[in-house]
Amino acid sequence: MRPSAFLSATLILSTLLVACGIEHTGDVRPQDPLIVWHSYATNGREERVFLDAVNSFRDAHPDIPLEVNYVRYLELVTQFITAAQGGEAPDLIRFNHDHLGEIGHVRVGGLPVLEDLRPHLTPEERRRFDPRTMQSMRYESALLAIPAMQSCLSLIYNRDIFDRQGMAYPNDRWTTDDMVRTAETLSAGDVYGLAIPIKWGYWWTPFQTGYGGSLFNSQNVPSLDSGRSAEALSFVLSLEQEHQVTPPGMHPESMKTAFVQGRAAMVIDGPWNWGSYLDAGINLGQAMLPVVSETGLRMAPLLNFHGWSVATDSLHKPEAVKLALWLTSAPVQLQSARVTQSLPTLQSLLEGPEIQEDEVLAGFMRQARECVPAPTLRATGLVYEPIETALSLVYQGEISADEALAEANLHMLKVVGK
Amino acid sequence: MPYLVALLTLAGVLPAQALMSQAPYPELRAVDDAQAYRRIRLEVQAAPTPETAAYQVWFSRFPFERTQDAELHTIIKVGDTAGLTRTPIGEAFEDCWSDGLPIPRDASGMPVIAGSAGGFTCALSGMLPFTDYFLAVVPVNANGVSLAGGPLFPIRTRTDAPDLRPAEPDTRPVLFALGSIVLSLAILLLYLRWRDLQAGRSNARLAHLYIAPAMIALAALTFYPVLYGIWLSFTDANQTHLGEHVWIGFKNFGTILDSAGTARVGLFTLIWAVANVSAHLGLGLLLAIALNHPGLKGRTVYRTLLLLPWAIPGYISVLAWRGMLEPAGLINAVLGTELDWLASPNSARTLVILVNIWLGAPFMMMALSGALQSLPRESYEAAEVDGVHPWRQFLHLTLPSLKSIVVPLSLLGFIWTFNMFHVIFLLTRGKPDVAFGEPGATDILITYVYDVAFEYGNYGIAAAWSVAIFLMLFAFSWFYLKQTRAIEAIR
Repeated sequence: MRPSAFLSATLILSTLLVACGIEHTGDVRPQDPLIVWHSYATNGREERVFLDAVNSFRDAHPDIPLEVNYVRYLELVTQFITAAQGGEAPDLIRFNHDHLGEIGHVRVGGLPVLEDLRPHLTPEERRRFDPRTMQSMRYESALLAIPAMQSCLSLIYNRDIFDRQGMAYPNDRWTTDDMVRTAETLSAGDVYGLAIPIKWGYWWTPFQTGYGGSLFNSQNVPSLDSGRSAEALSFVLSLEQEHQVTPPGMHPESMKTAFVQGRAAMVIDGPWNWGSYLDAGINLGQAMLPVVSETGLRMAPLLNFHGWSVATDSLHKPEAVKLALWLTSAPVQLQSARVTQSLPTLQSLLEGPEIQEDEVLAGFMRQARECVPAPTLRATGLVYEPIETALSLVYQGEISADEALAEANLHMLKVVGK
Repeated sequence: MPYLVALLTLAGVLPAQALMSQAPYPELRAVDDAQAYRRIRLEVQAAPTPETAAYQVWFSRFPFERTQDAELHTIIKVGDTAGLTRTPIGEAFEDCWSDGLPIPRDASGMPVIAGSAGGFTCALSGMLPFTDYFLAVVPVNANGVSLAGGPLFPIRTRTDAPDLRPAEPDTRPVLFALGSIVLSLAILLLYLRWRDLQAGRSNARLAHLYIAPAMIALAALTFYPVLYGIWLSFTDANQTHLGEHVWIGFKNFGTILDSAGTARVGLFTLIWAVANVSAHLGLGLLLAIALNHPGLKGRTVYRTLLLLPWAIPGYISVLAWRGMLEPAGLINAVLGTELDWLASPNSARTLVILVNIWLGAPFMMMALSGALQSLPRESYEAAEVDGVHPWRQFLHLTLPSLKSIVVPLSLLGFIWTFNMFHVIFLLTRGKPDVAFGEPGATDILITYVYDVAFEYGNYGIAAAWSVAIFLMLFAFSWFYLKQTRAIEAIR
């Protein structure tokens, strides 16, 4: 055979092979595992509880093969959307309700990427959950996740640092003046009185509510400059720039490190890090966020809800829902609450003695009652960026707090309008 | 069935209590033509008595006569419906109707029917498809006690409605495009082979066959994505309707020109690329000359040490730098300060450039060092004999000799640096912000494009940015090569 003829034959054959490629039929094969994505920190307490629950599900349902993958929390939404657009979404994935707002509008081939779970649950299965948690999992009218846990920011402190200085521990009657005064007294050497990521929008929201503002008004229209929000912005930046009670350039990870290393007496943090702090040997205490001295209003952070979602293109929807119900069942939620101090979403547990009689859980529960659930909207996922731009610009001295929040709100209205 | 019980009782087959406990079990009907995925529509003909407080819907996968053998599915309350809202169909957790309208609901969302209602219809959720279910409805009083007596006679029904899933992506256009590219390449290679034969070049008869696999791989992995990206830039593709995007002409290119911050991010990209490439070349050349000095002892050690930044994976180096630049990091510890180096726009911009200079200089050093070693010693010896100053030797001997390597190196360096994503993404993520809804202070075009695509989900606009970047680099390369006559130099 002549080389040119061989060359022609090879190339034409390869072209034909490509053009006649076998189309993926989408048929599920019995051995295809149910893919689960989670974002629990590796080797953390939350991950251990989760993996234990998955293993017990495996034992109870050996006919449902499972594959569990970890995805970084900050990349969860992007990775899921990309995977869903490529037809490779995991069957089951854990999101918080902010994520649901971000993903709810995404469409592939005209269909949403997350399954509306309303047809999958009976009304009685649904009614076991706290209505507030169930409502937070809804985007427009669809139910996009089964609520698994709830949490919000709280004041966590290192008892040993307080004891060394002979200071009284924070309590639920504290005001922001008390907090700043104590933090100033405790700031000595390489120890700071209070570590918080002052330029992060999520950490600013409790200050905003304490000053009478809110992210959205009652019609869910952005209202970043509502009430005395500008004062809240100035106050939070003053913790670093004026009072010097919080270290410069804090972000959530460096805040955690500072507290673990005993370089911060107090942090404003959620129960998700409680286990890490305990593991580091910190003598922990917890109190509610203080009342803002100027307004008399208690700082109310955003209440976060996490839940399990099923991908619309999953070939294992009934099995995925079964696993989601398992992961949100009373034994798993109770174990999670005991080990990670996250609050359950089942009505029976929230009202039960296991939570009410546990000092730490009851403390977080008291805080949660004061927390504000953010609406599950696309705007909720987008709201942090303009807040952080405002914080950054005011921090740099480029603009006043009033101007910054007015511009931030204008930007939000423009984005929501689009 | 109740009639059958009555007849059997009257006939003495069943005890008299059976007739006395005959209760108004409602008539049920599964509306088979309205079943949906995991939903069975049940029509209930009810006639509530004054004692009826609710109707309970029970279900099981097996026949049952007692509620203890089934699961409670739904409770429909009976009461005053005045003032209750009728949530439109599709908006509540589950859909129910009464009197042909959406069922009224109380404050907790529970469905309620009036005492005078003739019944209700509910789309019962949570039903597995292709599975038989048995359904029964029991009237209960205010204490939840059944008002009906005797065994239950559930109806049997099922839903076979299929699941709604996104259609499998249509891969035919992709395969057609790939096939066309491969076929075009095959024709090109055959044509070239024919030209060779025409010209009497027969000493490398299999040359085209050898390069064919590489060309095909290139076509599939490079040409196709590039062409797809160009096509995407002319569509309105975004997160809300991927797969249904349509051709919109040059609109996306207009959008990127109109975007606030375009000029700023373009200018910083230029500064970033020029500053880095100049520093890489300058520092690389300086180090290469130093390492090339004949009197230098321990050259291998220096070379190895200087190569380390390049040898370590870039993302690890950048993360290490980020840690060192933290307020509680090494730099502040050494300086005895506690500054947030990356908080202000200018210091952040300077630092990202410095970190990238640190990362890129070793490569230039190695490339130029190799070139320096290949320069003929005789020219330098002659210059020394003629008493030419070392600086003039550098200007008139070294630099002209290095032109053939410096020109392509600087061109490649410019293209790499212009599109250097990981340094900025990992070090600052484009922060700090300088305006609302605009690129950050340290964003360069490529990191901003990432945000446009993956943070904002505007794929068409991001593709238009990518095409614009490609055109900028293409124009620059063409102009640069033309100006420096590098092609001739390379030849």
